[in-house]
Amino acid sequence: MFEVRESGDDHVQLIGRLDASQVQLAREAMNRVTRSCTVDFGGLEYISSAGLGVLLGTQKRLSESGGRLKLTNMNRHIREIFRMAGFDHIFEIE
Amino acid sequence: MEKEFSRNLDALSDIVEFTDRFLADRNVDESAGWSINLAIEELFTNMVRHNTGAGKPIRIGLNLEDSRLVVQLVDDDVDPFDPSSVPEVNVDEGIDDRAVGGLGLHLVKSIVDKITYEYENRQMKVTIVKNLEQ
Repeated sequence: MFEVRESGDDHVQLIGRLDASQVQLAREAMNRVTRSCTVDFGGLEYISSAGLGVLLGTQKRLSESGGRLKLTNMNRHIREIFRMAGFDHIFEIE
Repeated sequence: MEKEFSRNLDALSDIVEFTDRFLADRNVDESAGWSINLAIEELFTNMVRHNTGAGKPIRIGLNLEDSRLVVQLVDDDVDPFDPSSVPEVNVDEGIDDRAVGGLGLHLVKSIVDKITYEYENRQMKVTIVKNLEQ
């Protein structure tokens, strides 16, 4: 199960398991983000490289107009995956 | 324990169920389970996306040997693919230089203790080993 909840245009909540089979849903939601945005990981249990790729692509696109993603409430496993990927240097993680 | 899965990303939910049941029955701790689930997804996804051939199902075998979790993915009747040809990911690069994609194998190498590739008679076999904490 994976779900994206969008509140306005600057807050996105990811819920469930973001694996390669769910990446299209995540991509469609993140494509609707057009400015700096908080992505709440509080309900996200799991993410793989497919989901990391969506977030990186979104951050790259927003950077062109000075925007950025702020990632919040990661569980310890996801935080570790971000560290292994070197994404802790790329994203603002709270 | 071994099971066949259709070479389709929709099989991932069945793979997670299969893996979680195996791990729960053997009281493998949650942290190691998380890593193994990730490694299996990344390897399975790579096989589905990159291995070309007859399109046969992919077999996943799980074994607990002493305090080592051994996972084997077997893909039959596929063309050769050299995983060492995949460029290493430089995690120190800034956002402008980072590619979208290519991270899967890097994550697998980071979370398991050993990874072995074998290719013979059109069969690709990937074995990963995760040492469990005593």
